[in-house]
Amino acid sequence: MAVRRTQPEFDAIVVGSGITGGWAAKELTELGLRTLVLEAGRPVDPVRDAVEHVPPWEMPFRGLGDRVATQKRQPVQQRSVSFDELSRRFWTDDVDNPYTTPADRPFNWFRARQVGGKSIIWGRQVYRWSDLDFEANLRDGVAVDWPIRYADLAPWYDHVEAFIGVSGQSEGLAQLPDGKFQPPMAMNCVEAHVRDRMGQRFGRERVLTVGRVANLTMPLNGRAPCHYCGPCQRGCITRSYFSSINATLPVAQHTGRLTLRPHSVVHSLVYDRGRVTGVRIFDSETRAEHEYRARVVFLCASALESARILLHSTSATFPDGLANASGQVGRNVMDHIKGAGASGEIAGWTDRHVVGNRPNGIYVPRFRNVGTTRSDFIRGYGFQGGADRQDWRWRLAAPGIGVDLKRHLTALGPWTMSFGGYGECLPREANRCTLDRGTVDAWGVPVLHIDTSWSPNELALHKDMSAAAVEILEAVGATHIQPHSHPSVMGSANHEMGTARMGRDARTSVLDAHNRAHDVPNLYLTDGACMTSSGWQNPSLTYMALTARACHHAADAMRRRDI
Amino acid sequence: MDRRETLRTIAAVAVLPALWQFAPRELMALADRAPRVLDARQSATINAAAQRIIPATSTPGAGDVHVEQFVDLMLADWYTPAERERLLAGLPALDRFLEATAERQTAMLVALDGEAAGKPDHWFSMLKYLTIWGYYTSQAAQTGELGLWPLPGHYDGCASYSA
Repeated sequence: MAVRRTQPEFDAIVVGSGITGGWAAKELTELGLRTLVLEAGRPVDPVRDAVEHVPPWEMPFRGLGDRVATQKRQPVQQRSVSFDELSRRFWTDDVDNPYTTPADRPFNWFRARQVGGKSIIWGRQVYRWSDLDFEANLRDGVAVDWPIRYADLAPWYDHVEAFIGVSGQSEGLAQLPDGKFQPPMAMNCVEAHVRDRMGQRFGRERVLTVGRVANLTMPLNGRAPCHYCGPCQRGCITRSYFSSINATLPVAQHTGRLTLRPHSVVHSLVYDRGRVTGVRIFDSETRAEHEYRARVVFLCASALESARILLHSTSATFPDGLANASGQVGRNVMDHIKGAGASGEIAGWTDRHVVGNRPNGIYVPRFRNVGTTRSDFIRGYGFQGGADRQDWRWRLAAPGIGVDLKRHLTALGPWTMSFGGYGECLPREANRCTLDRGTVDAWGVPVLHIDTSWSPNELALHKDMSAAAVEILEAVGATHIQPHSHPSVMGSANHEMGTARMGRDARTSVLDAHNRAHDVPNLYLTDGACMTSSGWQNPSLTYMALTARACHHAADAMRRRDI
Repeated sequence: MDRRETLRTIAAVAVLPALWQFAPRELMALADRAPRVLDARQSATINAAAQRIIPATSTPGAGDVHVEQFVDLMLADWYTPAERERLLAGLPALDRFLEATAERQTAMLVALDGEAAGKPDHWFSMLKYLTIWGYYTSQAAQTGELGLWPLPGHYDGCASYSA
């Protein structure tokens, strides 16, 4: 098929419109650059697609989901905790977008193809990193050193937090720097009780704070405060949580310099004489092939998708994939290990309950290997969780019939406090994705083969999560304490990252200290692929800060005619 | 740019309503849908049994909110053929349910509940599960005894409560 070439009418092309692509679109257009955003999926109309206020009795399957259609088209996506009968529309189709793994090493790759990408369905927990994290690889002799430190990123965390709106509580912890917060969401009475009892027992070693979450508690730039309806993964008509469609893309649009092209499935990046000159796409509706050209390209397609695009963009100079002279593209796949923690009942407060659905929980920042050193593992984990009263859904198998059963089902049960860990994953070259040339997606592009496993360090962390959660629950006087410990399938935290890492040395890393490819001076990559280590915090805030910083670096370089 | 191609520029956010409101009711409620799996007598039997499992008190019962329509939809569109047949194969145990006295109806259900206890795959466990799920997701239960709708529009983590 003939490829239609266009003159470099754009200053910049951004691949992807998710959480980092949206930020790149905002920053680049505000910096005066005519920017084309290529998005593989469809447009989203908030008025039509935001379905967060549909009550269960108006759902065909009453919240149980369209089981037949889901098993047929989304058998992987349905494993996400945010996948439900209505949010299903925001997850990708597994039949059109397959991938492969070894039979004994599964990987859950959660994906979203639409304008806004996964920013529509993300968990919205936002935590800064500190130098405990940026110095970790150097200190431990693991992989390669980060080429940046907290001081490099701190002003960009400020920049991002001020725009997205983060509600949270300042705590003054070195391992979890405070940010520019809107007023925190409230804890319920039992969470506040547990916080106080933990303070008595653990002092400032183990701190319980309300989650720092990208949901507004105050108006911001025409966006309304959260009204506590609950299911953010179904969209938000009041734009109260941060997403590309709620915040960054409208600002980019307002500059008059944004061109947003949905239905644009990237085939490859075009390389010519030392530079990336354009992006080749398929129109997913017409199947026509197009090529767009620009002075600089930002790859923001998500960690694994960006690696796939690079691996598939081969040339005489880069036979193993664009910007892959180091051989590191696709390697060092990481995700946070979860699936361990504990829950327990807290006596009392039977005359109290929760009104409204807070889209947020509590957080216990990392306390392992902070100040003290453990012998059984390096790094650490944070706990997410919360307290709530058990309702009828916990008693679906209750015995009996009649008035007594109805009374039993309607009444709220005791308060339950739960903690679940998110543990750091070490970067290892053996955890990698490669092109599976024997399998193609709906557009004929080879898919990824993802081959990963947890290392002993992650499993040791995981074991400690349950023990530490039990210890906390015992300390606060909980009863009926139930630990759980089932290592998650990698990918399940939806924090996949590391496949084109930043580093100081072009021989051992893909990107430099400003997310620019060592090998290709006008190519930037700012999604989770750039991560040199995983930290223990939810990563999106760091992705956004790195993106904004890289955009300013690129604009400066273009002004200086370095690009 | 190649002018022969029209780039589809979209406004990412349409004009927003001033305040939050309910999304369009694009999804059909279950009421008034003709049964597809259950015949009239089976529907009536499930309706009556559901009303005994979750009876009317100060709020409606499961038969009053027609959970048999939810059961029919689940049998038609959600369960596997084997699961559907398991439930249908059990239903004849309630063949004389509609003609039985109130006391006899209760005794039949208590016996089945005991027989199915601890057996989630038992046909009566399926029926009871659907009755509970269908009732507590109904508009009557969600707005009535559960008090979840209309949405409160705020959060109170320590509101007073009496069972």
